[in-house]
Amino acid sequence: MADLAITDVKKSYDGKPVLHGVDIAIPDGHFVVIVGPSGCGKSTLLRMIAGLEDITSGTISIGGIEMNDIEPSDRGCAMVFQNYALYPHMTVRQNIAYPLRIAKLPQSERDSRVEQAAKILNLTDYLDRRPAQLSGGQRQRVAMGRAIVREPDVFLFDEPLSNLDALLRVQMRIEIKKLHKRLKATSIFVTHDQVEAMTLADTLIVMNAGRVEQIGSPSEIYRRPASVFVAGFMGAPAMNLLPAKADADGLVRLDGVADGIAIAQADVAKGRLLTVGIRPESIVLSTEVGSGLPATVDLVEELGGSRVAYCNFAGHEVAVVLPAGDENIEGSTIWLTLPQNAIHCFDRETGLRLARSTPNGRVLRAKNLSEAAP
Amino acid sequence: MTTEALARPMARPLRRISERSGLNTAAGHVLMVLLSIFCLFPVYWMLASSFRPANAMFETSLWPTTMSLDNYTQAVDAIPIARMLFNTLVFSALSTVFQLLTGILAAFAFARWKFPFDKLVYTAVALTWLVPFQVVMIPNYLLVAQMGLLDNIIALILPNLAAALAILLLAQAMRGFPKEVMEAARMDGARNWRILWEVLVPNLRGTIASLAILIFISTWNEYFWPLLLSRTAENSVVQIGIQMFMTAEGNQWGPLMAASTLASLPVLLIYIVLQRQVVQSFMKSGIR
Repeated sequence: MADLAITDVKKSYDGKPVLHGVDIAIPDGHFVVIVGPSGCGKSTLLRMIAGLEDITSGTISIGGIEMNDIEPSDRGCAMVFQNYALYPHMTVRQNIAYPLRIAKLPQSERDSRVEQAAKILNLTDYLDRRPAQLSGGQRQRVAMGRAIVREPDVFLFDEPLSNLDALLRVQMRIEIKKLHKRLKATSIFVTHDQVEAMTLADTLIVMNAGRVEQIGSPSEIYRRPASVFVAGFMGAPAMNLLPAKADADGLVRLDGVADGIAIAQADVAKGRLLTVGIRPESIVLSTEVGSGLPATVDLVEELGGSRVAYCNFAGHEVAVVLPAGDENIEGSTIWLTLPQNAIHCFDRETGLRLARSTPNGRVLRAKNLSEAAP
Repeated sequence: MTTEALARPMARPLRRISERSGLNTAAGHVLMVLLSIFCLFPVYWMLASSFRPANAMFETSLWPTTMSLDNYTQAVDAIPIARMLFNTLVFSALSTVFQLLTGILAAFAFARWKFPFDKLVYTAVALTWLVPFQVVMIPNYLLVAQMGLLDNIIALILPNLAAALAILLLAQAMRGFPKEVMEAARMDGARNWRILWEVLVPNLRGTIASLAILIFISTWNEYFWPLLLSRTAENSVVQIGIQMFMTAEGNQWGPLMAASTLASLPVLLIYIVLQRQVVQSFMKSGIR
């Protein structure tokens, strides 16, 4: 096990920058999830940690040792790939034992480590099968077994669950979390799935367009997104983001709301263009006439345990989470209340959170994880 | 138009899937049988003729009315056919092994590494495939003559040590192999040599097998290059031996067919023994 430090790491392909200077410090034993949309540079960053991609500038250190020019196999990292990357011609046993065979470990040691890994991952009955004879979940477990037996300092997971069906994905997610609790090795998990990110992470790193948008605990990132991007990316259904403007009296008024209702206090200059965010589950909905801001329900999505109503509110589409129920409210007018303490204010130009948008607000930016971690 | 008419489905014959596919299958089978007969008949005729005595050689009956092994005895007496078959086998087997070996190594370099002018070099290799044998025949001949290797089996093999086809086909197959598996091997501690022989090659068995068969058969059938270099029957290949039955005085069809049958046997044997693997590998590597 070891801590990991990424200092001002940049990456360019043919002079085109894809990572613009990433600074992350991951304490020993943490489970860190890097989340972001496709093409944001998260997998590139992981591959740079693994040594599979060159670093254009900056340094990556594991356990205090700079790893920039060290061979991937000598970095103490083991990686689980998205498509498992098992050796098709080898049995499960041979696949798991391959890194040990290369390391020239004695046969008895190899056997015992393989048996142990197989036991942890419930693969004992499949040791003599080839990958083609296994299900997706079993293949993924073999890939994890191959990582475990090396007893690495750092586990790297590159979207390992994205090829699995929904049910298996949940099972494997739980298994990975349990495995981490058991092995306590520093783990970095890359995903574009926010549910995976929220459920697995001790610390979450949100990336966008080659930059770290925010680092923090999952709840911190969910409750206090540092930018419009994080606000829109984390959470399903996504946070409602509405254009607004700062008024002369220091109040924020939503665009298109004719009577100029003030919805939150913000320490901003008059006329500043803003984006106001509110989570769908934070909006209070009422059918009592005049009990809030009027909106028309366009569509209701049934989720079983709850429903999502998509409403037309002053020309903007707003999602509202409702409790489960049978009444048909599609096409009817409803009344929305936006609780002040649930409102997030962002600068529309920079996309950054405004510091005093809610009482006791604190803006989190990309910084040393050891500071950000709870 | 009434609403009733709209509700009714369009009047068109409804055919059952099984009937249609059954007809298609039958038509396909008939076509394949005809094509098979077209391909196999010359081979059958060669075999049948090899057993016909000289006086019945030009009979048109499908099955020989009288059978004789005279043609085989004559062929064996006229030329050192065993020695020639052995030479052909050595020539074909070594050419196959070396072309595969050089092909695998070169293809790995093209598929895995970026180096200055790599695309240019790859194109140059591809272009050598387009150069006809007749163009390089004289320079190659002069080269082996200067090396004192005329009438020597080594001279036959030398220009066949590497071939563009093997490099191109293998490079393509290696490029198609999942990059992540090679990266996983790299993470596991394997260097290039190990990745090539322990990860790539075992997984490209299909391509390598089909390529090996292609090289072996084309080398086995090589005629002109051995004809240029051979001076004695003992150092010659079986295709030259067959040609020896075609003389200015006329063709000795019986021994010629017997020698041709003997020359075809090893290739046929390989095909019969490896039939399933050959078909599978050709299907997998996309060579039909």
